[in-house]
Amino acid sequence: MPGFLLQRAGQALITILGVATLIFFVQRLTGDPTYLLVPETATRADIDALRHALGFDRPLFIQYLDFLADLARFDLGQSVVQRVPVTTIIASRLPYTLMLAAGALTVACGMGVPIGILLAVFRDRAVAKIAAGFVLAAQSMPTFWSGILMIMVFSVLLGWLPPSSTGDIWNLVMPSFALGLLSMATFARITRSALLDELSKDYARTARSRGARMPRLLLRHIARNASIPLITVAALEISNLLAGAVIVETVFAWPGLGQVTVQAILARDFMIVQGVVLMGAFVTVALNLLSDVLYSVVDPRILLDGAR
Amino acid sequence: MTIVWRTYPLAVACAAVLALGAASPAHASKERFVVDLVNEPSSLDPQLQWNPDSYYVYRNIFDNLVTRDDKGEIVPQVAISWKYLSDTEIEFELRPDIIFHDGSNLTANDVVFSVKRITDPKFGSPQLGQFDKITNATALSATRVKLTTDGAYPALLAQLVKLSIVPKAIVEAVGKDAFNLKPVGSGPYRFESWQRGVAVSLLRNDAYWGTKAPFPTVIFRAVPDGATRLANLQAGTSDLGVTLDADQAGQLKSAARAQALIGLTERVAYLRLNTTKPPFDNVKLRLAAAYAIDKDGLVDGLLGGFDKPVSQLGTPASFGWIGGLKGPTYDLAKAKALVAEAGPAAKAEIELATAPVFDQRIVQAIQQQLGDAGFSVKIAMSDMASYLKRSQAGPEATSTLSFGRWSCACQDADGTLFPLIHKSSGWSAYRNPKADALLEEARQTLDKDKRLAAYKQVQEIIAAEAPLVPLYQAAVIYGATKSLKWQPTPNESLFLNRMSWSD
Amino acid sequence: MSAVASPRPHPRQGFGLRRWWPLAIVALVVLAAIFAPWLAPYDPNQQNLIGRLKPPGTVSRAFHYWLGSDELGRDVLSRIIYGSRVSLVVAFASVILSGTVGTTLGMIAAYRRGWTETVVMRVVDVFLSIPAVLLAIITVAVLGPSLVNVILVLALTRWPRYARIAYSQTLSVATMPYVRLAALMGAGATRVLFRHVLPNIIGAVSVVATLEFGLMVLFEAGLSFLGLGVQPPTASWGSMLSTGRNYVATAWWVATLPGLCLFVLVLAVNLTGDAVRDRLDPRFR
Repeated sequence: MPGFLLQRAGQALITILGVATLIFFVQRLTGDPTYLLVPETATRADIDALRHALGFDRPLFIQYLDFLADLARFDLGQSVVQRVPVTTIIASRLPYTLMLAAGALTVACGMGVPIGILLAVFRDRAVAKIAAGFVLAAQSMPTFWSGILMIMVFSVLLGWLPPSSTGDIWNLVMPSFALGLLSMATFARITRSALLDELSKDYARTARSRGARMPRLLLRHIARNASIPLITVAALEISNLLAGAVIVETVFAWPGLGQVTVQAILARDFMIVQGVVLMGAFVTVALNLLSDVLYSVVDPRILLDGAR
Repeated sequence: MTIVWRTYPLAVACAAVLALGAASPAHASKERFVVDLVNEPSSLDPQLQWNPDSYYVYRNIFDNLVTRDDKGEIVPQVAISWKYLSDTEIEFELRPDIIFHDGSNLTANDVVFSVKRITDPKFGSPQLGQFDKITNATALSATRVKLTTDGAYPALLAQLVKLSIVPKAIVEAVGKDAFNLKPVGSGPYRFESWQRGVAVSLLRNDAYWGTKAPFPTVIFRAVPDGATRLANLQAGTSDLGVTLDADQAGQLKSAARAQALIGLTERVAYLRLNTTKPPFDNVKLRLAAAYAIDKDGLVDGLLGGFDKPVSQLGTPASFGWIGGLKGPTYDLAKAKALVAEAGPAAKAEIELATAPVFDQRIVQAIQQQLGDAGFSVKIAMSDMASYLKRSQAGPEATSTLSFGRWSCACQDADGTLFPLIHKSSGWSAYRNPKADALLEEARQTLDKDKRLAAYKQVQEIIAAEAPLVPLYQAAVIYGATKSLKWQPTPNESLFLNRMSWSD
Repeated sequence: MSAVASPRPHPRQGFGLRRWWPLAIVALVVLAAIFAPWLAPYDPNQQNLIGRLKPPGTVSRAFHYWLGSDELGRDVLSRIIYGSRVSLVVAFASVILSGTVGTTLGMIAAYRRGWTETVVMRVVDVFLSIPAVLLAIITVAVLGPSLVNVILVLALTRWPRYARIAYSQTLSVATMPYVRLAALMGAGATRVLFRHVLPNIIGAVSVVATLEFGLMVLFEAGLSFLGLGVQPPTASWGSMLSTGRNYVATAWWVATLPGLCLFVLVLAVNLTGDAVRDRLDPRFR
């Protein structure tokens, strides 16, 4: 067991190192942020002076070693543009990212799961057809389009919701729907297949043949068993939601990590991009590691497989 | 069906949220003036960053050595008066009654400190180039400062409009990073808080020595999407939104709550032709390109007529504008004839470099107009960082043609013509010793007439040789609540104490 | 509630035609893309500045705008027809490229094991740990936006998904007796993989591919929104939608019509994907 854990941890470390290396070099392929920082009238000498002051004139490999050394001390560096530690920036944005993810997950689950049940229970009925159409439709629209439509209707036309930015809970409603509707299909799909699976199992068929009514059956027995795959998917979907938030955050001026990262990419603010990507990678890898460990505790067979 | 709802209270909650959505309309009130910027400020230390989203905010926290009034004249701010001691020395008399937000007095020491700080190469200010002609600053008394420049420097006062005065004692005590987080100035607003990524909020400085602003609290938010900024204005959740386009201004015409505020700027839109690469190494083809562009068509057709076509590389908002100067005007037949005359040389593929921040409708219309004249133009859009790098790579490496909008933020022809023409600049894709000599001459004398005469000759060279095609003086369009009264200025600054309510 | 009374679904017979109509829509779009020059009434890039943002049915100069004109007075109908090319080419090419690369690497990793497996799967991990959208934006910003680069970037960011599924499927297929037998009888790795393994895993891969196809159409649109899509003035549904959204209130046709096309295409592809999945997953038959 410790050997297996050690091996997995080693793999995780290599993955993180790979992400760090990839992101470091890919970003630096087109130079540095100096040109974006100086006013238009800056001369070549001015530009070189600033580049020197920022340390971007050093050999790339030295910069890379520096970056790794900082990373080893869990120092993500300072934003070149804002001149504030990257950790400060991430810390101020993270709560909004989590709020949006929670809101979107609520929408996705809250609508996806009932629709999935509908799809499984009413199979070929018109009701299920319409629901299926709705799910797919929600998944087939770019968010920058559905987002502005929502703003036009609910904010400008009806005046029900604030168009953008943060404030109270109402500011969260539209971004959550714009983002959550995309993932709704996944939840509906998983719920449907999990339910169909359970419904075809012996216990469910026996219960039905003994006259158990559908609602009772769903509530008492099936819900519990069918929720296992659902939780797994929810965990996976969270990382998708975080990534998908890039455009939603831009449209709704929601101050999450996606928005700041896109801006940092375009501004060549390397440190922020590295920080956010590494943090994301760290979370993903840690979750994977954790689930591996949990699985191997639950089911020793997986341990054999994983430790080969 | 009911079970579905019973099983998933979450869904019920969602439905409730939907149904009750009408409850809380958030309206910007007059107590709280809400400004929607594109991005959040990069920095609130006025000596660390010069970009619109930053200076829109910090220029309200700090006073500058001098400023420009609404007409564009350089007028006193921190300095009451100034006189040249020699070509390289200038003495400023300072206002004695300016008080920083912490209660301390603004003195000559603070001015000297501010100058030395921004001109110190080790400090790494991106604005170094705007001030590095200043070689020394000395305090003659508590209210008198002397600046020494490296040779005669005619644009000095125009640059000092941007020199924000920071308090020496505080900056030295807290250091650079802390000052950026909690700036202290002497301007009409004082810094209250910066909820990073969300909003910067400023409080009115009721002890301000000059004109006080009408809004007790001002909130600056970042709203990157233009359509969303417009929606915020229409819904009444913001009071002022920056960077709208002419079509959005048109939409505001019929809006109940909002209006468009439009001002001409010192920014000039231009095409830069690479004179070392075919087809534009041929002066006749460069002129053909100049004849092919229908500036009035662009301005009236796409820009709502707000911008103003120009026939010289500059704007009336800047020193160095020559009244009545003529350049090539739209003449498609002439352009076609010149292209036909050049034969196959004109067919070389032209790469038109641009970036997403520029109006893509203009770029595409230019492509069409040049195409109509017989050129073959391909648009090459890249992100701003790559565009800037390529634009300043010198004639060998830069694109054949590029579209840009130039502002030196100094309202002086030197800041436009020198970088775009002179061979020492990365932006220049033109080599003409005579033009270079004229530009150097104009840069080294304080004699206004001599300078104007030199710029006139440079503009004539541009008209005859077409290394650049001047297009139009750019307008800046803001959206604002109906009752706001404000005239946007050519330097694209957003001075809150120059705004007022109309009722 | 009688339909509910039989929880075990009755098997569906063959390919019901009803279930495959979405495929017809996709085919229609493909045809429109191929025959665009014959179908489009005008040059999609021909501008007419005095005929900007005109509603459907307007006549201006030489144009008769059946579906209105856009912000430069170009014919929306012609641009929609030509725009189908970009959306389809981007989606097809990136799915095929990433699918081929990912599946091949996944199969090899699972079959070879050892070092190959370690290297390939670690690289897959690296790519999967970076949000695809961000990686795409970074690489487009670096390479510069163009049709080819958009395809390359999408392929670069999406191949690990195929690699993972191909890897896990191959692991189980490779233990099947007849695959082992083929290997024992001296068949080369290439032959075993492509003759015996691939046919067994292609179903699972194609389910992923159909889902990805719809996603790629949306990705292209998203990149256009961020100013990183295909070069103007090339029409793509994504770029039309992202510029047209500025005119939602004043000229609805500029964005709504390409948006509708994009929507129907993605919907049709997703429905096809569902049909493929149900067909391959015996549980649902």
